[in-house]
Amino acid sequence: MTEQSIDLRRTGRIGLPAIFAAFFRLGATSFGGGTAGWLYREIVERRHWIDDKDFLAAAALGRFMPGSGGVNLTVQVGQRLRGGLGALAAVLGLLSGPLAIVLALAVGYTKTSQISVVHAVFDGVAAAAIGLTFATGIKLVQFRAASAGPLAVTFMTVLCVGVLRWPMIPVVLCLAPISIGLAFLKRHRHHA
Amino acid sequence: MPDDKPLLALALVFMPLSLLSIGGGASLLAEIEHQSVTLHAWTTQREFADLFAISRAAPGPGTMLSTLIGWKVAGLAGALAATVALYLPSSLLVYGAARLWGRWRGSVWHTAVERGLAPIAAGLILSGGIAVLRVAPGGAAVWAAAVASTALILCLPRLHPLVLFAVGGALFGLADAIGLW
Repeated sequence: MTEQSIDLRRTGRIGLPAIFAAFFRLGATSFGGGTAGWLYREIVERRHWIDDKDFLAAAALGRFMPGSGGVNLTVQVGQRLRGGLGALAAVLGLLSGPLAIVLALAVGYTKTSQISVVHAVFDGVAAAAIGLTFATGIKLVQFRAASAGPLAVTFMTVLCVGVLRWPMIPVVLCLAPISIGLAFLKRHRHHA
Repeated sequence: MPDDKPLLALALVFMPLSLLSIGGGASLLAEIEHQSVTLHAWTTQREFADLFAISRAAPGPGTMLSTLIGWKVAGLAGALAATVALYLPSSLLVYGAARLWGRWRGSVWHTAVERGLAPIAAGLILSGGIAVLRVAPGGAAVWAAAVASTALILCLPRLHPLVLFAVGGALFGLADAIGLW
């Protein structure tokens, strides 16, 4: 595989089927949302399709932009390899495995949803997944735990969207400029 | 909302959310619950909680919850429509932004936007947890288990989520089988 990847680098063109296949493998095997880590091992370390520096820049943009960080990263790697078609092949590869698996699970779910123990199992999985969601949110808060401004923004978001159940889009459109403005001012004060 | 045209309704719900899913798909959970259960009645509370569980236990980048909602609404076509609607706008945006990124990365505004959006993303993700807890039909046991698994994940960062899901599912299944509730 290593020899093959060096050859591919020399010719400078990686085939669309190869891109699809690599990302298909990634999508079907990355559990728990750690796509970036899997992608680094598979695309940078194993196949040498892009280098560390490009990977880090793409990962930073992927997290920064809206959407799944893993999908955003995949778009950029595909784009770098083969332009628009490369991005399309990579994303289709990444998503088609999980899509098939999740639909198979859903079909299995409808066939068994009359059985009470199945619901109980789903309740248990849902409870654990809710815990994972809370933990992710809490880790993100801790990130800036020191200052009152960001904490107030998080609190307002939870109050409006989580407790009062206001629609998310206007809440985000109101809070985002305020929060970005606060971050901008704070940075200025530090440098003044 | 054109609920007589389900594919269009799915696209109209998920395409705008695509561009506002800051910090990843998890930030959309509360809004997807609100849209699916309350506004469009695409799923019951029970079904939503179950589809959420399935979406988290399956592999893949971020959430396939929209795919499952789409499937529930309009079968395979709905699943594809919802998936494309959720991932296409954000993918096109990042595709366009990749060229400009080199110049913009590390600038004052980049830092401010990144730092400004992080607390909102955190709030949205926490709201998502609350939203699913609200519709989860298991009652107090689900609440207790959710709190326990939050603590477990925070204390044991190396714990694989799938292990936790398996333990949670097994415990609740067992409790049901022996008639604990």
